[in-house]
Amino acid sequence: MQDYNTEHPFDITLSEDQQMTWDMLRKFGETELRPHARQAESDGRPSDELLEKIKSLDLIPLIIPEAYGGMGLEQDSVSNALALEALAYGDLSLAMSVSIPLLTAQIISEHGSEEQKAELLPMFVNGSIFHVGLGINNTMLATDPYQSSVTADESGEEIILNGSKTGVAFANEANTFLISASNESGECNLYFVNKDQEGVEIEDKEFMGLKGAPLSQINLSNCKINASQKLGGHNYSINYESLVDSSRIGMSALALGVCQAVLDYVVPYTNERVAFDEPISNRQSVAFMIADMAIETEALRLMIYKAAALKDLGEDFHKQASLTYRFATHHGMKIGTDGVQLLGGHGFTHEHPVELWYRNLRAIGIFEGGAGV
Amino acid sequence: MRMAAEFILRPISRKYDKAEHEPPLEMEQLNQAAAAQKKESGVGDDSVKSMDLGGRSLWAVISLEQMCWGDVGLFLARPGTGLGNAAIMAVGNQEQKALWGKRWAAMAITEPAAGSDSKNISTTAVLEGDEWVLNGEKIYVTDGDRCDCVVVWATLNKDMGKTAIRSFIVEKGTPGFTVARLEKKLGIRASDTATLIFDNCRIPRENLLGGKEEIETDINAAKKSFGGAMQTFDNTRPMVAGMAIGLGQAALDMTRALLTEEGYEDNFGRSMHQQTAIQNELEMLEAELEAARLLVYKSAWMMDNKMPNSKEASMGKAKAGRIGNRISLKCVEICSMQGFSEDHLLEKFSRDSKILDIFEGTQQIQQLIVARQVLGKSSSQLK
Repeated sequence: MQDYNTEHPFDITLSEDQQMTWDMLRKFGETELRPHARQAESDGRPSDELLEKIKSLDLIPLIIPEAYGGMGLEQDSVSNALALEALAYGDLSLAMSVSIPLLTAQIISEHGSEEQKAELLPMFVNGSIFHVGLGINNTMLATDPYQSSVTADESGEEIILNGSKTGVAFANEANTFLISASNESGECNLYFVNKDQEGVEIEDKEFMGLKGAPLSQINLSNCKINASQKLGGHNYSINYESLVDSSRIGMSALALGVCQAVLDYVVPYTNERVAFDEPISNRQSVAFMIADMAIETEALRLMIYKAAALKDLGEDFHKQASLTYRFATHHGMKIGTDGVQLLGGHGFTHEHPVELWYRNLRAIGIFEGGAGV
Repeated sequence: MRMAAEFILRPISRKYDKAEHEPPLEMEQLNQAAAAQKKESGVGDDSVKSMDLGGRSLWAVISLEQMCWGDVGLFLARPGTGLGNAAIMAVGNQEQKALWGKRWAAMAITEPAAGSDSKNISTTAVLEGDEWVLNGEKIYVTDGDRCDCVVVWATLNKDMGKTAIRSFIVEKGTPGFTVARLEKKLGIRASDTATLIFDNCRIPRENLLGGKEEIETDINAAKKSFGGAMQTFDNTRPMVAGMAIGLGQAALDMTRALLTEEGYEDNFGRSMHQQTAIQNELEMLEAELEAARLLVYKSAWMMDNKMPNSKEASMGKAKAGRIGNRISLKCVEICSMQGFSEDHLLEKFSRDSKILDIFEGTQQIQQLIVARQVLGKSSSQLK
C-alpha cells in the first residue's frame, strides 16, 4: 500500500522555467515539426534545413559539460520528460531525431572516460549530432530488455563482439556506434565500435512507423575492439537497468505527446463532422471514446511525472518506470487506433495525420533507447 | 488508518457480510482511530464527524483508500458520517452547520423513477406557514436506517425542472417519515441501504438547506442554485474513487500473497517472453491502478487548492470505478477456486467493487461529464 509521505506532498505545478520551456517547445513541435512530418516520411529523413532548425534549439549543447564546450546545465528528469512530450506533439520521428542524439550525449557525458568525452562531446556542440549511432534495440525476440542480443567476450586482451542491433538511427551518418552488449558474467555494458572496422555491417531497414528518421541494423561478427573502447574505460560498468528504465520514461513521454496530438485533433474534427444532421460528437458512442482518450492521456501524464520525479529524488524508479511504459504501450496503441476510427475512412488516408500517429505509436513498447530523461 | 483497516475491519469483514442489516458495533473503534489520526495530522477533531475537510481532500482520499483497503462495506457503515454531512458542509449556512454538522446525515436523492437524472425527481416540498411539507419516496439511501437525519432532495414545482429543486434536512422520528424497507444487495452488505417514505412529513422552515424559498426566475441564478447542489459531487467523487483504489489494492495484495505461497514472484519490466501470463496480467493491473490513483489524487489536490475540478473528479471516478471492478474480478479468476471461495475475501471484494462504479455517478455519467467538457458541449447537445 502506498504511504502518504508528507515530506513529498503531491504537487504537480510546473516551475516557471518548466512552463516556459514547455510552451516554447510545444509551439516548435506544432509549427516547425508537424508540417514537415509527411515530407520527412517520404524522404526517409528530415531535410537539412529542418535539421538546422532542430539543432538551433541547442538542446544537446545545453546538457554537455562546459569543459567540452557545452553549457553544462543539469536538467531534471521532469523537465526532460516535458521537453520530449512537447516535441513529440509535433511528430514522433522528428522528435526522435533529436531525442536519440540527446540521449547519446547524455550517456557519454555521464559515463564516458575522460578520453572518450574529450574526443566525442565537442562534436555534438559543433553541430555534428549523428556522429555516434546508438545501438540499444535487440534483434532477437526472447532477449531480456535489460540484456543485449550482442555478446561481449571479454576474456582476452581484446573484446570480441558478436550479434546484431536494430533500430539504430542515422547509422549511415555515424563514424562510431555505441552498442550495448552482454558479457559472460551477465553484465550489460556499452562499447564503442568504429564504423569502418572489420566485422561491422550496416543494413538499412524499413519499419511500419518512425519513417521520418532512417533506421538501420548493425551486424557485428567477430568484431574485435580494444578494452579502452568500453564506455567509461576498461574497468567501468554502468547500471544498464537504470539506463533502460530512464529511456522507458522518455519513450512514455514521447508517447504522451502523440496521444495528446490525437486527442486535440479528433475534438475539433468530430465537432465539425456532421452525420444524420448533427455533429458526430453529439453521439455517446463517439463522445465516450473521446472521454476515455482524455482520461488515459491525463493518467499517462501523471504516471510520467511520478516516475521522473522519483528519479529526480534519487529513489528506486524501476517499478514506476516499468508500469509507466506498460501503460503508455497499452493505452498509446488504443488511442492511436481510436484516432483513426473516429475519422472513419478519412482517418485511413494520408489526408489526415491520424494514420501516421497510429503507426508511430506502435513503436511504443517495442523501441528501447529512443529518449532519456 | 492502514493498521485500523487491518486489525479492526478485516477480522469482522466476513461476519457483517453475512449478518446483513445488523449494525457493526465494533465500528466505534474505527472512529476513535480516525480521530486520533486526524489530531496527529493537525485537522480539527470535529471534522471527523462533520466531513469539514477544509482543504484536506487529498488527505481524506488517502485515509479512505487505506480504510477501504480494509473493507468498503464496513467503512460505509461507520457510524457518524454520511454523504449528507458533505452536503451540509458544502451548502449549509452557519447555523445549519453548527446544528447538524456533527449529526450522522444520510443523503436521499434517488427515486424509483429518477436515478442519474436527479433533476427529474418527484418528491415535493410545499411551504405551509412555517413548515415545509414533504411527500414522496426515496430509495437506495445509504445509512438511511441508522443515521440521525437525512438530507432530502425535493422539488418546489416539478414543471420548473432543476431550478425548483432544493434539499432539506429531515430528522429521524419526524412524523410522516418512515423507513419502509432495507435493500438486500450484491455487496457492501455491512452498510444499510434504505427505502424512505415521506407522507405529509412536516419539518421546520429553517431546514431548507442552502438556496432560496422561491423559485428563481432569473435563469443564471437558477442554474447556479442547482449547480451548487451538483458541486457536492466534485467533493465526494474523489472520495468514492479513493475507496475503489483501496479495494483494488486490497485485491491485488491478497492475490499476490496467495500466489507467493505457491512460489510466485513479480517480474516487472521484462519482455513478454520472460513473463508468465500471471506476471504480465498483474503488471498491467498494477499500472492501471497506479494511473487511477494519480488521477484521483490530482482531483483532490485541485479541490484543496480551490481549482475547479469537476472534469478531473469525473476522470478519476470513471477510471477508479472501472479499474476497481476489473482488478477484483480478475483476481478472482487468477486465484481460481480459492478466489471463488468464501475462505478468502477476494469474492467479496469483487461483489463490493461493483457499487463503486455506480454510486456518486455511474461510469457512463462520468464519461458524459468528461466528454461534455472535453468537447465543449452542453447537456442538451450531448445527452
